[in-house]
Amino acid sequence: MEISLVDAAIRGFLNLLHLKVFLAMLAGVSIGTFTAVAPQGLGMPLVYAIMLPIVIRWEPVTGIALLIGASSVSAICAAYLPVLFGIPGGSGSQATVLDGYPMGQRGEARRALGASFMAGGMGSIIGTLTLACAIPVAKPLIYLMGSPELFVIVLWGLSMVAVLAGRRPIKGMIAAAFGLLLATAGQQAQSGIMRFVFDEPYLLDGISISIIALALFGIPAALDLALKRLGVEQQPAPLKGKLYDGVIDTLREWWLVVRCSFIGVWVGIVPGIGSQVVDWLAYGHAAQSCKDRENFGRGDVRGVIAPECANDAKDGGDLVTTLLLGFPQGVVTALFIVALLGWGFLPGPEMIKKNADIIYSVVWIQGISGITGTLIGFVLAGQLAKLAQVRYSIMVPVIFIFVLMGAFSVTRDEADLITVVAFGILGYFMRLFGYPRPAMILGLVLGDLMERYLYRSMASYGFTWLARPGVIFLLILAATSFFFAVRSRVRSNARTMTTSTPVATS
Amino acid sequence: MTANFTLFLIAVFLGACYWGWNWPYIAKLMPVYVAAIPGLILALIQLYRDATGWESRQGEQDSGNEMDEVHDVTLDKRTELRRTISFFAWFIGGAVGVWLLGIDYAMPLLIFLYMIVEGKEKPVPTLVLTTFTYALVWGLFEYTLEMRWPSGLLFR
Repeated sequence: MEISLVDAAIRGFLNLLHLKVFLAMLAGVSIGTFTAVAPQGLGMPLVYAIMLPIVIRWEPVTGIALLIGASSVSAICAAYLPVLFGIPGGSGSQATVLDGYPMGQRGEARRALGASFMAGGMGSIIGTLTLACAIPVAKPLIYLMGSPELFVIVLWGLSMVAVLAGRRPIKGMIAAAFGLLLATAGQQAQSGIMRFVFDEPYLLDGISISIIALALFGIPAALDLALKRLGVEQQPAPLKGKLYDGVIDTLREWWLVVRCSFIGVWVGIVPGIGSQVVDWLAYGHAAQSCKDRENFGRGDVRGVIAPECANDAKDGGDLVTTLLLGFPQGVVTALFIVALLGWGFLPGPEMIKKNADIIYSVVWIQGISGITGTLIGFVLAGQLAKLAQVRYSIMVPVIFIFVLMGAFSVTRDEADLITVVAFGILGYFMRLFGYPRPAMILGLVLGDLMERYLYRSMASYGFTWLARPGVIFLLILAATSFFFAVRSRVRSNARTMTTSTPVATS
Repeated sequence: MTANFTLFLIAVFLGACYWGWNWPYIAKLMPVYVAAIPGLILALIQLYRDATGWESRQGEQDSGNEMDEVHDVTLDKRTELRRTISFFAWFIGGAVGVWLLGIDYAMPLLIFLYMIVEGKEKPVPTLVLTTFTYALVWGLFEYTLEMRWPSGLLFR
């Protein structure tokens, strides 16, 4: 049954008014906070992979509260490692180290963190508002789409692997092809034919994406901790200064916050840019556009504000593409799509038509988690720094436990254990040899959707679907975005070669 | 070594083509034509690049972003290999433990042994975390959420 968007927004909010949803959001916020400040190697892909098998059994809004709560806060609290330890946090917070760490070193760590929390909170709200506004804009367009158009959209998402794979486009495409292949294992829904089942009842429904994601990301992350044995020798910068000063700095630079937040939203929405660059784009913009920029790189608070607000606003932009078009911009949104599929939702136009209230629940959770994360950052600034020193000898077995329990909980079949070990080893080799695991997950997630839409298109229209105006328009759009993304990469490489040649010959 | 992994992927794509070749068109469109054949062609190109060292020559000039985390461990090879083997031994041991003993007993045991033997942790934090793990596995999942884990092979 379809409802108006206003009703959907109200229902989306009412969905949250349950104790368990609130508790799940708090749990997500706590997990996200810990992930942001814990030693390197942990990240949102790992958290999503670990939580997926658990939350899929929950009611959708409760599970969404945990997942979105975690990812939203993780971005807001991501400045801890750069400011206090001088090491880049997760992707999206790497540029913060340039000015954050010098501030920490000269006794202004609290000011840097205050600016980061405030900018992150404001960026998160701008990203969330963009997401909320995008829904009514997108809805009329979505009614023009049928299976052929949706197939092209999924194809567009998949083509971005070549760009998102960055330095390793061929390896990225191989990994995506491998993911597509795995997605086809099991009984084909359209024809009932068994594919790659080898008379094993365990493979009838295919291999669980939850187990694959859990193993691919969990095991290499734990191995990284076990190899580097981080969290032992690191000493944080002194936690001095005032959080309040950072808040005032951010409010004074409100126009910079707005500009950089929209850079973040844009990076999130436009396919092919890649979330890894968001902080550098915002930092570069701030360094070029601000007055008195000689202190950038030496502890200028604007060098913290710009990347942090862009990084948080990006999440809202990411969700626009994920929820409204149904294709992910990275591994976290790919895993979020896996969760939505597990609950029986089909992200994209169909979800806007049938489950708009759930989309608005995501919007509300994103906004509320952003504000909660900002408050947590302010209140627990001192205590959170200690979390960064949790020893590997505690983290590694804890990850083992979540990986094994998460995998075993999917079907409670002993074959789950073999699957998780096999894909854990595969994940290790993929990382060792530079095969991007997110590309494989994208292939795995989009493979099923792609086959479904292609089958429906062929069954309904034969090959004439290729002549539909919507298909042609979307193909042109996809080709244009692919062309510009590739061109920008080629130009960037050319620039690098030009600048590196004199150095090499001198 | 990189070439060996690429060879493994080539074998997977070849296997997919072999098994899927006789399926009806509707069933083999995605696995064979969209995934395996393009994957095979790309993997062969990658094998050529691995064999000629093309990637390492080009890598220094390529300014693209990494889509995934990169393997950036700077330990000497022996230490890295020893720690990697030890890590996988613990992980596979944990999986075997779940199979033999069941989740209820294997998980606390894994925490206890890993922290004492591998992590050289003191007994008190080890026992605290072991107890916490048992409380999580049994108290939260089995008792509160009524999620029954299968018994281990030794207890059936």
